Amino acid sequence: MASNVTVIGKSTRVRGRVHGPGDIEVQGLVDGEVSVTGDVTLALHGMVGAGIKGRKLVIRGAVKGDLVADEAILLEDGARVVGDLRAPRVAIGVGALVRGYVETGEEGSSSARARTQTAARAAPVAATHAPERPHTPARAPAPAQAKVAAPPARAQASGATNSGPRRPPPPVVPVLKGAKGQIAKKKER
Amino acid sequence: MASTIIGAGITIEGEISTDEDVVVAGTVRGKLTAKEAVTIEHGATVEADVQGGSLVVGGSLTGNVTASERVDLQSGSRVIGNVKAARVTIADGAQFKGNVDMDV
Repeated sequence: MASNVTVIGKSTRVRGRVHGPGDIEVQGLVDGEVSVTGDVTLALHGMVGAGIKGRKLVIRGAVKGDLVADEAILLEDGARVVGDLRAPRVAIGVGALVRGYVETGEEGSSSARARTQTAARAAPVAATHAPERPHTPARAPAPAQAKVAAPPARAQASGATNSGPRRPPPPVVPVLKGAKGQIAKKKER
Repeated sequence: MASTIIGAGITIEGEISTDEDVVVAGTVRGKLTAKEAVTIEHGATVEADVQGGSLVVGGSLTGNVTASERVDLQSGSRVIGNVKAARVTIADGAQFKGNVDMDV
């Protein structure tokens, strides 16, 4: 008999916190925080109304809260997440829906924050064509082992201070700017 | 039929309501309402009012119990609370303190 495997069945509704060691599979509804030391699996019709904390999170259902993992977060087809994702590894599969901030890398380490900080002048332009679109529902076309970290050179030159947990992501395409701060126009002469 | 299993070590603080069987091996604090069988395993701790179709208690239960069918308190169980059910058995070795109401 497997010890420490918790299953919240399909017709079960829990209104309160769930926490402890071991793995948990949620097929029903948990209207409260889930915080375990093991793996968390959220089945297709499962729903969690608050944050989920665990070692490895495999999400196929609906979550309205932040996902924080020690190892990895895997969003599979059918996942609908409104909340932030923080884990060393994040995978958003085909069909998964996400609306929130995604941060990969070691949780809470200063190097991760330096990597995701972007130059202040690039920030307004990044907002217009944010490639990862963390603040709008994202349909990832391909499974992305998302290393959202900006190129190190850009981050090193960054003088931007940490303006809070929600920052626009670093732009993937470098922006060409002229001296007046406008997009440089090609001069053919 | 699928059942809800609350594994050993897991603590649920709040209300649980379900239409299926429940097996509690961990800790439940609050309220537990089930339509079918509820099993509280040896080593489990339930500090809640429990309602179910039938109830088998092998662990520690503090709270009132209402079952539509039967309640069985096994040897090694420890129950503090009132029990209301049509059929009740208390095994030798069970510890019990409370009222028993068998709808008489």
